[in-house]
Amino acid sequence: MPDTVNGTTPAAKSKSVTFDGITKIFKDPQSGQDVKAVDSVSFRIEPGELVTLLGPSGCGKTTVLRMLSGFEQPTAGRIFIGETDVTQTPPNKRDTAMVFQSYGLFPHMNVFDNVAYGLKLRKMPSADIAQKVGRFLDMVGLGAMAKRPPSRLSGGQQQRVALARSLIVEPSVLLLDEPLSNLDALLREQMRVEIRRLQKSLGITAMYVTHDRVEAMSLSDRIIVMRGGHIIQMGTPSEIYRDPVNTFVAGFVGKVAFFPCTVRDISGSGCHVEVKGRSFEAPRWARELKAGDSALVMARPESLSIGEPGTGVEDGVVTANVYLGNSVESWVHTDLGDPQSGLPSDVLVQIDNPDVKKVWNEGERVSLSFDPILTKVLPEETEPVPRT
Amino acid sequence: MLLFVVAVGSWIYTSVQGEFLKRSRDGQRRTVETIAAGYPAGPEDVDGWLQRLADEGGADCEVALVDGIPMPGDEVRARGNAELAALCRASGADPEFAKGFDNAAYEEIYRSVKDWAVAGSERALLFAPALNPRTHDIDGVLVFSFGTEAERGFIQMLRTLFGVAFALFAIVIWQMMLSRDPIVGFALAGLFLMALTFVAYPLFEAVRLSFLQNGHFSLEIWRTILTSEGYLDALMGSLKLGCWTATVSTFVGFLFAFAVTRTNIAFKKLISTMGVLPVISPPFSLTLSIILLFGNNGLVTRWLGLTGAGFTIYGLPGLVLVQTMGMFPIAFLTLTGVLQAIDSTYEEASLNLSASRLKTFTAITLPLAVPGLLSAWLLVFTTSLADFANPLLLAGDLRVLSLESYIEVTGMNRLGHGAALSILLLLPTLTAFLVQRFWVARKSYVTVTGKPSGRVMELTTPGVRKALAAAIFCVIFFLVMLYGTIFAGCFVKNWGIDYTFSLENITEAITRSRDALFDTVTLAAVATPIAGIIAMIAALLIVRRRFHGKRLLEMLLMTPFALPGTLVGISYILAFNHAPIILVGTAAIIIINYVVRELPVGIEGGIASLRQIDPSIEEAATDLGADSATVFRTVVLPLVRPAFLSSLSYTFVRSMTAVSAVIFLISARWYHLTVLIYNFSENLRFGLASVLSTVLIIIVFGAFGLMRLLVRENENLMKNVT
Repeated sequence: MPDTVNGTTPAAKSKSVTFDGITKIFKDPQSGQDVKAVDSVSFRIEPGELVTLLGPSGCGKTTVLRMLSGFEQPTAGRIFIGETDVTQTPPNKRDTAMVFQSYGLFPHMNVFDNVAYGLKLRKMPSADIAQKVGRFLDMVGLGAMAKRPPSRLSGGQQQRVALARSLIVEPSVLLLDEPLSNLDALLREQMRVEIRRLQKSLGITAMYVTHDRVEAMSLSDRIIVMRGGHIIQMGTPSEIYRDPVNTFVAGFVGKVAFFPCTVRDISGSGCHVEVKGRSFEAPRWARELKAGDSALVMARPESLSIGEPGTGVEDGVVTANVYLGNSVESWVHTDLGDPQSGLPSDVLVQIDNPDVKKVWNEGERVSLSFDPILTKVLPEETEPVPRT
Repeated sequence: MLLFVVAVGSWIYTSVQGEFLKRSRDGQRRTVETIAAGYPAGPEDVDGWLQRLADEGGADCEVALVDGIPMPGDEVRARGNAELAALCRASGADPEFAKGFDNAAYEEIYRSVKDWAVAGSERALLFAPALNPRTHDIDGVLVFSFGTEAERGFIQMLRTLFGVAFALFAIVIWQMMLSRDPIVGFALAGLFLMALTFVAYPLFEAVRLSFLQNGHFSLEIWRTILTSEGYLDALMGSLKLGCWTATVSTFVGFLFAFAVTRTNIAFKKLISTMGVLPVISPPFSLTLSIILLFGNNGLVTRWLGLTGAGFTIYGLPGLVLVQTMGMFPIAFLTLTGVLQAIDSTYEEASLNLSASRLKTFTAITLPLAVPGLLSAWLLVFTTSLADFANPLLLAGDLRVLSLESYIEVTGMNRLGHGAALSILLLLPTLTAFLVQRFWVARKSYVTVTGKPSGRVMELTTPGVRKALAAAIFCVIFFLVMLYGTIFAGCFVKNWGIDYTFSLENITEAITRSRDALFDTVTLAAVATPIAGIIAMIAALLIVRRRFHGKRLLEMLLMTPFALPGTLVGISYILAFNHAPIILVGTAAIIIINYVVRELPVGIEGGIASLRQIDPSIEEAATDLGADSATVFRTVVLPLVRPAFLSSLSYTFVRSMTAVSAVIFLISARWYHLTVLIYNFSENLRFGLASVLSTVLIIIVFGAFGLMRLLVRENENLMKNVT
């Protein structure tokens, strides 16, 4: 499908979004106690950018989205869309459009009327509405379904209607609340690409909420990782993946292994650490580290390799091999685990081109090594590492 | 801002009040001058002049003449208006009087600064010199007294008006300035205002009046009621009637429900239909046909030769019969639901363990149904207690509370007693409700397994099934006969005496009831959409919004459901026949009464229906730019359409067939068809009553049929919506 969005000039209407010290306190209906769902959150989304809020359930990401749409009122702080303070603006007066997790299609209207709803509210002449709705339905590939009730569409088609209904009003900000979580895996991948394509072609600023790291990585210009109502890190997908600020982010956005180490020396170009008596130089390290600290070397599956016992930094036993065609994922059980800090003892190693490389059998004793150029040195932490 | 408004408001208020008082007092002053100018010259004419003033009574004041100008300590001699003269004599030494006399001496008119009690009412006194036109001497002092009720009434009205205006203004400002969603704010304010004015206030007035005697707090009324035998008889009568009706109805209802849910009996559809039908039959209709059949001159009575043989249908047995016919559907509906919800796997298991069918029924089905039976019994019991129409025609010597309170109010004009009696009626109802809520509900064995299994467990042997069918078809036959009798009654010249075919009744009934029919339909038609819309708005706010006082609002709006109609009717005439809200005699009071009484069912339906709807549908509409009113109109209302339609038809039907409350509220201008039926029946014009009952039955069934049709169409449309 080509970009047929002729009428709209991309990026002309898109606006930035600014959260300035936003706090939201809910009253727990059972205990009557105050619960801080969002705690002094500040960030800025540039015009035309797609930013994902990523975090475990209950981290406050949906609350942030609902405050931006106006369905929740912040307890403190201010929200701007562009230069306008919208903190007190009711949802129907905000130039935002939301795609809901459960789609929220109007069951008593057909596809056409659903998509036309926002335009009718804006008092657009009906001839223009018909033309524009047709264009947007074609854009999401549903031109032939205009007369159908939503109940006679598949999940993916309903999702497209919801998307078209939000996009057609040309909002300043598009909001997506876990829009793909009700779809099956294959459809989800398709829709990820679709959403990204539409958002970029229309140049709309977008905020996307998900707890699925793959979704977040594949869609976003930038990702905001949240936990317990706080922003932990904000950055591009590769920053978040390669350069996480702590073990929580490292664990939340991908498989990871941690090797205990001691910081020897920090120079301008790298952090020299010692793991099991061997020295390495890592190009990335947490700024608060200094010589003499106990720390952790973070390594992703693709930077790990398996060798004969005693050759690497940590020995273990292969417990499972998962053949994926272009790679094999080998699980190696080690003594790295620490139940207290949640550090994993089972380490995933990704072996590319498995048909030309050696794959170790299950049950064999092996040794793990890492490529220091892809690692980061992180401080030890008390907060447990999430499992992904 | 608010301070400014308060300042401007009070300024306007004081100047309006001041202006009014000035005008009124100027008028009084002019009256005084005019009268004083007519003071006769000859002393011998004075008495005649005073007498003429008293006789004419044109000016709204009394006049007395004090001879001479009394000095402090002098005895005051006064004549003219007797009460005023007496006051002058008694209070002549008062400083106010002294000032009045002083001013008169200087030929000035003086108005006393305080009011005086003359002949039981507050009056203002004006003093004027009695100037002899011939001698130009001051012969004495003319004392005038003017009533102050008009002034005070006006001031009170002004205050109420300003109070209301200010409250409204405050609500508007508060919503505009502080709320992000003024439409919702206004809707909430409106609902609270409505609930407080038309639910809480009348009830409060009824309770208050039952504790008043001659305007003072007193337990006299309650003492009378709780000690005098007559009233206790009525209480006992109500309870006796309720127990009998509830027991028999539950039994009949269980037979029907059991047959439909646990046997393979034939004609199930017919049984279900006939088991529901009487619920929507208009009041008086069943009673009427019972009288036509079993009354003193009834068809069956005559046929069996029972006339004058001591047999009478009036009284407890007749009432139990007619109430059972009308109320067993309540038990049937409740028990069908309960029996359907009890998983028949239990019975299968019992049969599988080789228990006999009888053993299975007594050991499994019946114990599981006990909580259901109890709540059915309680429901019928409370309905029977609140029933007004049937006892009205058929009570005979039996005294029941609902009737007694009606007689107190309309017959004896003892509103306080009536209110107290209908409050008394509330107590058993409340007890039944609490028992249901806290005991029966907790003991319920209804199994929640998602979907009721569609299978029917055959629990009867063929012999038992035949007996069951025989019993059920007896009841159905009797019901059909009752309806048939009403229909036949339309075409008979004079039931009981002359059974020749005639259409006279129809023509006469139509001409005589045209106005009442028009009133009845108009009032119901106006109340219906109002109640429907308000119910859906209230349901939406209760389900979807967080706000302070939600529980209170919900409780207030649901209360009328539990109130006996007589209590509602009495409390409405108590509350709305005096300031600040006078509605008695208007169409408004009847319409409001309909709306308030039928709201609870509509709200319940709306709440149940909204709970099924994903809130993100409404949020999506809001997000696309629709304000609350648009969301309600374009999204909520279409989605709750089935609930909305059934609330509409329910309100319409209930309003068409209202009796117990509306009988207190009708007036010469706004009459109700059911009351007309009652009047015709009382006057033994059974033919006319039959015609009107038939008309009502047709309208009611028509409304239900229409609703069914619309909802079914709707269901097809929405079938696949999740």
